[in-house]
Amino acid sequence: MSMDELNIKDNTSLFKEERYVQQRENKKPFEAPCSEQETAEALAYSKSAEYMEKNFSRQNVVINPHKACQPLGSVMAALGFEKTLPFVHGSQGCNAYFRSHLSRHFKEPTPSVSTSMTEDAAVFGGMNNLIDGLENSVALYKPEMVAICTTCMAEVIGDDLNSFIGNARIKGVISEEYPVAYCNTPSFVGSHITGYDAMIKGILSYLYTRSGTRGKPGSGAESGEKLNVMLGFEPYTGNFAELRKILGAFDTKYTILGDHSGNYDSPATGEYEYYYGGTKLADVPQAANALATLSLQKYTLKKTQEYISGTWNQQLAALSTPLGIKGTDTLLDTISELTGLPIPAILTEERGRVVDALMDSHPYLHGKRVALVGDPDLLIGLIGFCLETGMEPVHIVCSNGDVDYNEVKFKDEAEALLAASPYGSEATVHVGKDLWHMRSLLLNDQVDLAIGSSHLKFAAKDAEVPLVRVGFPIFDRHHMHRYPIIGYQGTLNLLSLIVNTILQQLDDHNSGFNFELVR
Amino acid sequence: MDPLRQDEFDSQACGSIAPKAKPCPRPKPGEAAGGCSFDGAQITLLPIMDAAHLVHGPIACAGNSWESRGALSSGPSLSQYGFATDLTDSDIIFGGEKKLKDSIDYIAGRFAPPAIFVYSTCVTALIGEDMDAVCKEAADRIGIPVIPVNSPGFVGSKNLGNRLAGDALLQYVIGTGEPEPETDLGVNLIGEYNIAGEMWDIEKLMNSAGIAVTSRITGDARYKEITWAHRARVNMVVCSRALLGLAKEMEARYGIPYFEGSFYGAKETTYSLRQMAYLMNDREMERRVDRLTEREEARLSQELRPYRKLLRGKRAVLYTGGVKSWSVISALKELGVQVVGVGTNKSTEDDVRRIADRVGDDTEYIPEGGASRMIKTVRERKADIMIAGGRNMYVAMKEQIPFIDINQERHKAYAGYEGLLRLAKELTYSLTNPIWKLAASPAPWDKEAPPYDR
Ligand code: SF4
Repeated sequence: MSMDELNIKDNTSLFKEERYVQQRENKKPFEAPCSEQETAEALAYSKSAEYMEKNFSRQNVVINPHKACQPLGSVMAALGFEKTLPFVHGSQGCNAYFRSHLSRHFKEPTPSVSTSMTEDAAVFGGMNNLIDGLENSVALYKPEMVAICTTCMAEVIGDDLNSFIGNARIKGVISEEYPVAYCNTPSFVGSHITGYDAMIKGILSYLYTRSGTRGKPGSGAESGEKLNVMLGFEPYTGNFAELRKILGAFDTKYTILGDHSGNYDSPATGEYEYYYGGTKLADVPQAANALATLSLQKYTLKKTQEYISGTWNQQLAALSTPLGIKGTDTLLDTISELTGLPIPAILTEERGRVVDALMDSHPYLHGKRVALVGDPDLLIGLIGFCLETGMEPVHIVCSNGDVDYNEVKFKDEAEALLAASPYGSEATVHVGKDLWHMRSLLLNDQVDLAIGSSHLKFAAKDAEVPLVRVGFPIFDRHHMHRYPIIGYQGTLNLLSLIVNTILQQLDDHNSGFNFELVR
Repeated sequence: MDPLRQDEFDSQACGSIAPKAKPCPRPKPGEAAGGCSFDGAQITLLPIMDAAHLVHGPIACAGNSWESRGALSSGPSLSQYGFATDLTDSDIIFGGEKKLKDSIDYIAGRFAPPAIFVYSTCVTALIGEDMDAVCKEAADRIGIPVIPVNSPGFVGSKNLGNRLAGDALLQYVIGTGEPEPETDLGVNLIGEYNIAGEMWDIEKLMNSAGIAVTSRITGDARYKEITWAHRARVNMVVCSRALLGLAKEMEARYGIPYFEGSFYGAKETTYSLRQMAYLMNDREMERRVDRLTEREEARLSQELRPYRKLLRGKRAVLYTGGVKSWSVISALKELGVQVVGVGTNKSTEDDVRRIADRVGDDTEYIPEGGASRMIKTVRERKADIMIAGGRNMYVAMKEQIPFIDINQERHKAYAGYEGLLRLAKELTYSLTNPIWKLAASPAPWDKEAPPYDR
């Protein structure tokens, strides 16, 4: 086909053409009339320590936030269970945002419905919306369970989910037995990770309580289950696969509590089915009999962890995202300890290969100054990885680090981790700050590399720092979430991503004598 | 044409400033409904690129939405910044007005924008924040316009939000400034958001016919140019019925004639350019437009030839909001693509009438959203391609249906003559990509897989 003779340009090249450039010039008079000099001065000022101080004393406005709200996390949590429909109680917009947000990251559809509350609901309460909504969505989408979370609107008017659901049953809209789990997730507290936690806890406790059975931890052998695993607010479907691989190598039985990888990694068969994979609802009460629960995001899953070690009375091991060699070592040790199984030789071999790869690349990593943005558990993993490769974390921003928990705090752990290594001596950890703060940090104190979500790209561009996309959300690159970043394999993936970004940079910026073939 | 449903009648009111009947159709609980009014208002105003846009509410509304639209800027980027007051529980109890005031001051001090738009959200509306008062006080104090946009999510649909944004422009912006004396006055483009740079293509066309753009409302706009929109000679309402009320009101207040038009497809483009010249009442301009459109159409039909051959007889299901539901039909028709199913969920009575004028009798109207409904239509009508927005894209992929994104996140500009050429190219590429055959054939060892059949 000779289509290309027509040569239709995409907008990147198109708008570089003379006539468009001219068009833009013509518009200048309308723009706030700043001279080039003023612009340069403003830019210089934004790099100054003086502005940074002002920026950091900013109290009342968030600029370029790096967190999403609670119900977004709840929707992801609900999708971790078989044939479960996420159901957002509030006005419709939030739900539309959650669906786009998650779909843009995973490049997959996100089934989720809303009660579409409007003004009358604001005045009289959202009960009718909830009851109608349940009726409609159960008829339309035929879920086996509905998982309801609230938005700030429902919370502000004080809707009582429990009694509303009860009334829906009394009205016969859903049967007495029909499972409806719920949680309260106002977006004016917490972030997507606390919302994830709330929904997981909501579903586990709901399914457990209604089953009427009482868990006997450690009796899992009878039911064939030995270990529960929770990955938390997990933006990588590849991490589920990697974890399965590791557990498979151990040859242990396990149940993943909250597995949304099916929904976000379904095959294109020609027929879209709404629900894919997920933890089986019947497995949840059984999970209370397991030997132990392994949590891979300890800051995300705080309430669920409390519930499991409290109500289920189960042994609990809580780690942060297991990446890097040490992080993965800890993971394997923990699995081995919890299950009593030896560490499989095949994983030891894999470890050796990845250590080898790290050695090959270390000259390019050593001394590289990096900035990190992300959720608390991911950051702990990333800091650990950086330190063991000789990279130096410098700026660490965590918008949703613990603010109101008094146990182990993310900031304390991160700082202790950094203090234990000479490569961490320059780092500062900023909890509750946003990406505009990060921009100040990047402009003020240059780094070689930024690691974080797509949202960081604006600040990174301003500071002319290459960005390695890790975490959530990644909107502007394809398929990153399909590759694991946990385990030895994940560490290798991350290493390739980082070292090759650095090498690409070398090539881009060196013509002449440094433009080498072999690196 | 098909009789209209009640809610289609009701939704007609959406086009006017003071709806007499119910406003936009109410969303149904328990469905995966689209965006809220807050979203709609933001979408309308965010393309004012040099202004600051501050969301007053908890993190939900801003945290999930900042910088995720495809409205391009040719210069300033302040509009890309996600500003939010990020209310927490204590603000909900004690009120967030102080926080709002401080936020406005900070933004004014640091970013020196020509104006700040402040958006209410469900929560701030519910707890009864007096945003108007805070904005007014702040504007007086800091000496730049601070414009409250009262469009909390719960008042209704995205379309209603577009309209409320139009109200805010009328109340606070339009008529507050005067153009420079040497400015060439012409047409306001209302409801053109410069998605993927479409505005630039349109402006170039207009300029080659000697028609000036007075104000862009709001694609790639600067705040200032909107303040003098009342000096324009003609208003063109482009593809957004929700801002029709704005044009009507401007006609009433300032005597500016308006028309509704579109730039999708060569015919619509030509019509729109002609209409502008006609309403400007300028013979010479009309002649220039005729020459330009003739030349462009001839060139286009030449260049489209190879695509037309491939596209003729292809069948499409179209699911998009508002005016695009009919204007894109014209564009497709010119390429020989037949629309066999069309969404009317977000269309007014007028839109539906226009759809009816443009499609054949056997076209199916899809009144309600939901992926399954659309897929069903694709299957039943043996459509070759689906044309819809981003939220539906991945469902189409699952179903192995060729897809083109037509909504606000699209990355291709389809307006004007060159836009039609791009659309033809995208359609062809999407339809002929080898991946469909590959996806449709089972693994060689798997005889059981269903055959590809559409
Ligand atoms: S529905 Fe309300 S709370 Fe949700 S995004 Fe819209 S304005 Fe914000």
